Amino acid sequence: MANWGLALDLGVRLGLSVVIGLGLGLLVDSWLHTNPAFTLVGIVLGVGAAFYTIWDVASRGMKR
Amino acid sequence: MLNVEIAAEPLFSIGPLTVTNSMVGALVASVILLVVAWYVTRRATLVPSRMQVLVEFPIEWIANIVQGTGGSRWRSFAPLVITIFIFVLIANWLGLLPGVGTIGYHAEHHGEEVLIPFVRAAGADLNFTLGLAIVSFIAFIAFGIKANGLGGYLKHTFIANPPYMTPIMTPIHIISELSRLISLSMRLFGNVFAGEVLLATMLALVPLVVPIAFLGLELVFGFVQALVFSLLTMTYVILAIAENEEHGRPELDDPDHDSPGEAPDHRAAPQGTAA
Repeated sequence: MANWGLALDLGVRLGLSVVIGLGLGLLVDSWLHTNPAFTLVGIVLGVGAAFYTIWDVASRGMKR
Repeated sequence: MLNVEIAAEPLFSIGPLTVTNSMVGALVASVILLVVAWYVTRRATLVPSRMQVLVEFPIEWIANIVQGTGGSRWRSFAPLVITIFIFVLIANWLGLLPGVGTIGYHAEHHGEEVLIPFVRAAGADLNFTLGLAIVSFIAFIAFGIKANGLGGYLKHTFIANPPYMTPIMTPIHIISELSRLISLSMRLFGNVFAGEVLLATMLALVPLVVPIAFLGLELVFGFVQALVFSLLTMTYVILAIAENEEHGRPELDDPDHDSPGEAPDHRAAPQGTAA
């Protein structure tokens, strides 16, 4: 049942990771007036975080 | 007039603290839990009464799930998971009671007279769900630190393997961790708030019979969301602890652990003689 919850959570976290990266990038750009440099970096890091989340959950799940 | 605000409505202030109707909902849920727990534990017997069974059943059910998946140290975090489940369940179902969201006072809002309810489902306020998610977040960080030590936890969180990847992997890891917090809070808030809007809309469109079906659906959704929130908290804690077991530090294991599959005995010890 826990794996079922984890699978449900994984889908949401994939999208949220990109949104958080984008949000943080926009925030830094608005502070430093460097638009769109950090927004692009944030998106890339967000996408990276999404893939990392899948890898992290899957690898730990398989070890269990 | 039909009006479901996304932000909880303030009712009154106590000094700098503004009390909102969702805070009243959370307080009512807490009071219900405390009173029921006090009443049942005062009269707990080996042969349980119906009330005792009603309270013990969800506790034993969740405890069995935690024991089945939680590894050797399931006892250390089972109380947290069970408390979150029961609290969120009561808070969600409280919003379906007659009077909650429908009894209040009339106030002017954007030039129109609207009803401000005295009590609102706590889960329909992002502050409540975010608060719970922060508790869950701090709990699994704390269990991770307890299992791996502060140095081990910080090393795993902030230093990548291989180390030259740290400047890229650390922000990625932080974003991934933040996504847990936001995912937990937004899911519960979204489901409960959407339920409130759905019920209010159906009550306004077809006041008789039809809302009963949606109330039934909301009972199921309230239960499922409480279960998902508590089980995800459990899973995060298990994943945080698992790193310790991977690195072979069995000395940190709970000495009084049970082997998986053993039936737990969560029934309270008899506090007195049978009623």
